[in-house]
Amino acid sequence: MSSDLISTDVLVIGGGLAGERCAIEAAAAGHKVLILSLVPPRRSHSCAAQGGMQAALGNCVKADGDNPTVHFLDTVRGSDWGADQEVARIFTEEAPVAVRELAHLGVPWTRVRGGKNSYVIKGERVEIEESIENDGLIMHRDFGGTAKWRACYAAAATGHAALYAIDSEVVRLGITVRDRTEAVELIHEGGRCQGAVARCLRTGKHFAVVAKATVIATGGYGRIYGQYTTNATINEGMGAVIALNTGAVPLGNMEAVQFHPTALAPSNILVTEGCRGDGAYLLDKDLNRFMVDAEPEKQELASRDVVSRHMKQRMRDGKGVDTPYGPHLWLDLRHLGEQHLTTKLREVWEICRDFVGLDPARDLIPVQPTQHYSMGGVRVNKDGQAYNMSGLFAAGEAACWDMHGFNRLGGNSLAETVVAGRIVGRRVAEFVADKDFEIQTSVAFAAMKKAERRAAEWLNRTGSGPSVYAIRNAMGETMMGKVGIFRNGEELEEAVAEITHLLAECDKAVLRSRVPGMNPELTFALRLKGMLRLALVTAKGALLRTESRGAHYRSDYPLRNDAEWLSRTLVRWADDEGEPTFSYEPVGEIDLPPGHRGYGSDERIEMRESLEQYNDGVYERQAVHGRLATVEAAGSRLRRGEWKGLV
Amino acid sequence: MTSNEGGAPRRLRFEIFRYNPEDPGSNPQMQTYELDEAPYMSLFIALNQIRETLDPSLQFDFACRSAICGSCGMMVNGRPALGCRTLTSDLPDVIRLHPLPVFKLIGDLSVDTGTWFREMVEKSEAWIHAEEAFDPEAQEARMDDELAQAIYEGERCIECGCCVASCGVANVNEDFTGPAGLNRIARFMMDPRDKRSDADWFEVVSNADGVFGCLGMMACHDVCPKELPLLEVYAYLRRKTLAAAFAGKEE
Amino acid sequence: MPGRTKNLDGFANAASEARRQIYYELASGASGLVLALFMWGHMILVGSILTGERGFNWLAGMLEVYYIAQPTVVVIFTLFLVHAALASRKIPAQLADRRRMIELGKGLANAGRFRPANASEISPMQAHIESRLWIWQVRTGMVILVLGSFHVVLLGLDVLTPLFGEHPGIEALTSVARVKAGLWLPYAILLLCVEFHAGVGLYRLAIKWGAGRLLSRNVLHAIERVLLWFFLGLGVVVLLVLADVLPPPLAFLLTEPAI
Ligand SMILES: Cc1cc2nc3c(=O)[nH]c(=O)nc-3n(C[C@H](O)[C@H](O)[C@H](O)COP(=O)(O)OP(=O)(O)OC[C@H]3O[C@@H](n4cnc5c(N)ncnc54)[C@H](O)[C@@H]3O)c2cc1C
Ligand code: HEM
Ligand code: HEM
Ligand code: SF4
Ligand code: F3S
Ligand code: FES
Repeated sequence: MSSDLISTDVLVIGGGLAGERCAIEAAAAGHKVLILSLVPPRRSHSCAAQGGMQAALGNCVKADGDNPTVHFLDTVRGSDWGADQEVARIFTEEAPVAVRELAHLGVPWTRVRGGKNSYVIKGERVEIEESIENDGLIMHRDFGGTAKWRACYAAAATGHAALYAIDSEVVRLGITVRDRTEAVELIHEGGRCQGAVARCLRTGKHFAVVAKATVIATGGYGRIYGQYTTNATINEGMGAVIALNTGAVPLGNMEAVQFHPTALAPSNILVTEGCRGDGAYLLDKDLNRFMVDAEPEKQELASRDVVSRHMKQRMRDGKGVDTPYGPHLWLDLRHLGEQHLTTKLREVWEICRDFVGLDPARDLIPVQPTQHYSMGGVRVNKDGQAYNMSGLFAAGEAACWDMHGFNRLGGNSLAETVVAGRIVGRRVAEFVADKDFEIQTSVAFAAMKKAERRAAEWLNRTGSGPSVYAIRNAMGETMMGKVGIFRNGEELEEAVAEITHLLAECDKAVLRSRVPGMNPELTFALRLKGMLRLALVTAKGALLRTESRGAHYRSDYPLRNDAEWLSRTLVRWADDEGEPTFSYEPVGEIDLPPGHRGYGSDERIEMRESLEQYNDGVYERQAVHGRLATVEAAGSRLRRGEWKGLV
Repeated sequence: MTSNEGGAPRRLRFEIFRYNPEDPGSNPQMQTYELDEAPYMSLFIALNQIRETLDPSLQFDFACRSAICGSCGMMVNGRPALGCRTLTSDLPDVIRLHPLPVFKLIGDLSVDTGTWFREMVEKSEAWIHAEEAFDPEAQEARMDDELAQAIYEGERCIECGCCVASCGVANVNEDFTGPAGLNRIARFMMDPRDKRSDADWFEVVSNADGVFGCLGMMACHDVCPKELPLLEVYAYLRRKTLAAAFAGKEE
Repeated sequence: MPGRTKNLDGFANAASEARRQIYYELASGASGLVLALFMWGHMILVGSILTGERGFNWLAGMLEVYYIAQPTVVVIFTLFLVHAALASRKIPAQLADRRRMIELGKGLANAGRFRPANASEISPMQAHIESRLWIWQVRTGMVILVLGSFHVVLLGLDVLTPLFGEHPGIEALTSVARVKAGLWLPYAILLLCVEFHAGVGLYRLAIKWGAGRLLSRNVLHAIERVLLWFFLGLGVVVLLVLADVLPPPLAFLLTEPAI
């Protein structure tokens, strides 16, 4: 076999938490696994997660009485009923195991200190006596939108610690990782995925990896919002793009984009929700704690979509602090004290010092809401198996497994990566074990030729077209300006038009540099079209969804509309087709009926049909949209009605 | 030396090391670019601006741009630093940038730290050596929060390679475990979940590629962007080694 | 399997090799420590010249009569050679490697205005100099090896020959005569090198074994510099007296009261 064709049992695209946890499961089952990653795995964006990981261990006083069912309720309410409730159920039950497993692998979780502890809760300093019995168990901190303290954390570097522990396990198992390698094209035929074509980011050369199973775990794609995101520069969404390009695999809920309330202004570096969890205030320019009036119950700790909207509204009302970079609000950490800031929130303290030269113990921190998380992604069933494409799986932020619906709760996504990694990894291992598979090198080489042609086409194009970076910047402005926190039909239509125009521009864009090797400009150019395609389906999805749900807020349709929109958006768009195709599937079987979330607006349009009617034949209706059969029957792990005693 | 308040922005002169090993026509050389300084301008912002407006072929690595992923170590006027965290306002008008030494050059400012660190992890088996397999049913083993914080202190290393690049020994002895490697070893030695005995560690640490390779140059400690107490780490390893040597003797 | 390390494959017995390594490390550190302490004591002893020839001769005589000087010469010379041998193991053999270290140390020291990571420990905007100091430690060590050997052999003859016949031991007259005749130059160089080398060496030794836990690095560095300048100053005065340029400033202590 030539060096441009590699063969493996399992190909994992993405070396973040989700990809690596998945790889471990498959490798432990004895399969040959290859991981591709844009960067060395430990530099994946999972390492940037600071605040915590939700798991209902119930170890501290403020977590007393917590259990997976309470976590399930919070998750479904957080999702604004957009989640697949069975997946949320599976997730909340498995999360404690996943967190304990990380402890076993070496994560230095912050622990319960038995005896008197001092916390700041809703603006008051409180003394709480933690039981000596629980001394040394994993501690929790408060996060937005939850009934209990539930986020497990390792100071303010939870993702970092988890990723290093998981990656060490990958090294221990001897799993091959090819870093600086980008998957650019899926190899597939007849609804069967056979691997992917990759491009080496050291040499610029393409090669094909044929695999019995392929997992997309490429994380979020916040960079379609240009610089208006907390995401890393590598979060450009190529995982979602290669799936979309097949034309068969749908992406789910692309319009569901989370904006985080507290990104540092103007660089948009994240300041974790853990700050507010630990008692920080949001202030406007008059140093007024506006969240107390806006959300008396949850205050600063309402869910992210709600807090972001209140902040944006506050700034629209002229209560923001004006700067040449636009307005911002303040985050106040001063009352937490230097000791707390330099230990439990140390990373935050460093970020403030290094990037804006401020000391949170003395100064107010300038913050603004910014794109943060992509609830949407490659639509998969509960096994992590992509719709319509056997042998293709997805996990982590890249996937729409759909426990987040239209708004993810803080701390739920780190937990998702390891839980999904465990579960999907197991399914992948089973899939690989019982499927015979014959490599069709011709299909692989055809895909590779296609990818090479794409690169050659960029290099050959001449003229005086626009620069790829100018197009990217324009995309970012459009997305943040018109597909942002508050949306409306008019602006969304403009956004769709502008991005359609940028797509045409992209076909005319010309490289300034033709150096051999990876060529950074070419590397970006090869992603640009895909990013624009993601931007377009996001904008168009938002335009079509004429209601407000979770993070998707339409000023012209401010109510959640369960009568018409209790559904998940699916979009398909082959790379040679002119227009994306949208369709809508039921969110899944509903156990907890739609109601008030406990924060935000209480007004909504009720379902017309009964729950029984909605649930009747729901899985057949999903199958019509391409959902493949699952190993256990769909709905079998829902534990219907178990929440009833708790509400 | 910072940008004069209100006045015209400072004109910055970047002298950047250029070499593309993939290009037979490329020779190692310094290339000069000029930019106007902006408020809060970091090397991340400046380098991207150079790439987008002046020279699209310039190679460098950034990912998180918030000093947490460790991608962007580079020599800034002779000293290793994270590019994303270094503000131009802390630098003179002329800014010389080189790739980190020790690591394999990929092109211009981009070096292969990933391979180096993976080898380090393999060599020192930097993972928990537990005696028992994970039990999904069991409650987590307890740990004192003080100890968890102490382990966390060492765990914070982001593998940026700045310390390695700054260390004279690591620059000339490629088998030296290096500051980050020694730190990682100490982190696992401290962890009660890891069942390797002091005697096991003794063999890894007590040699010229281990802690005794360290000459106490202290550069690692001074350049570490995460402010890891590396000097204390080596002192800890030395004292542990001493204890292990004499404990071993008595056996 | 816990503890299996690929690191030392090839060593027949990794544990005993590791043990040998720690003995080397201890020996080189301890010999450096003893030498450094000796040098300070030595400076005080030679400093007796400040009280005039009588004091110097008396002290030298006592040390010889009670057979303190003779074994000390032997022990110190042995330590001197052991330390030099062990310490030079750490000096890279390749010229290119030494150049690399020199260049690196220089670069770090010249990096200029920079917020060091440990802003709390070292004053902001301070450059890193310890790497360059190490280079100078090697250089001064080399000089000490040559000049120090010569000096110790010379003094060895002074101290040991009386054991075998009617020779005078260390005497102010001979010392002053030879220093004045030209030995002042090598002594001045040696003095500078020794004080620097011993001062920085002790600072480094303290950090290496964890004194940083008790005293901050800033404080240790400050102590090092105070000691360095004190002994350097003292040494210069002593040397000036030995070279007969200055009259012994403390001579009044030993002169009989005028009345
Ligand atoms: C600043 C920040 C803070 C956060 N804090 C929290 C928190 O406190 N709690 C919480 O629960 N969640 C948090 N999140 C969200 C959470 O961190 C992410 O959702 C999660 O880590 C995603 O993990 P992942 O494994 O899916 O993807 P990632 O960790 O992003 O990994 C993606 C991987 O895919 C690779 N890749 C991408 N494209 C390709 C390609 N084309 N070919 C090959 N490889 C590719 C990348 O190299 C990378 O290895 C935070 C997110 C951000 C941005
Ligand atoms: C009176 C003579 C000397 C004194 C007082 C002295 C003192 C010291 C001290 C205290 C140290 C620190 C030890 C450590 O960090 O472990 C040291 C290190 C060193 N010495 Fe000397 N020394 C002397 C002579 C020499 C000579 C002759 C050489 C010849 C080459 C030499 C070369 C070195 C070197 C290279 C080091 C650094 C070793 C290391 O970092 O491990 N020294 N010395
Ligand atoms: C035990 C051994 C030693 C003895 C007995 C000794 C004795 C003396 C004496 C008598 C002098 C006066 C000058 C002379 O007579 O030449 C002197 C000066 C000096 N010695 Fe030594 N010495 C010893 C070891 C060393 C060592 C190991 C070093 C350094 C490596 C050293 C460095 C010096 C210096 C620098 C001076 C000049 C004095 C000054 O400037 O203050 N000596 N020593
Ligand atoms: S120890 Fe510090 S300098 Fe070294 S790799 Fe880790 S974070 Fe970077
Ligand atoms: S720079 Fe190198 S020599 Fe030691 S103190 Fe640091 S490892
Ligand atoms: S870009 Fe991540 S550390 Fe600088």
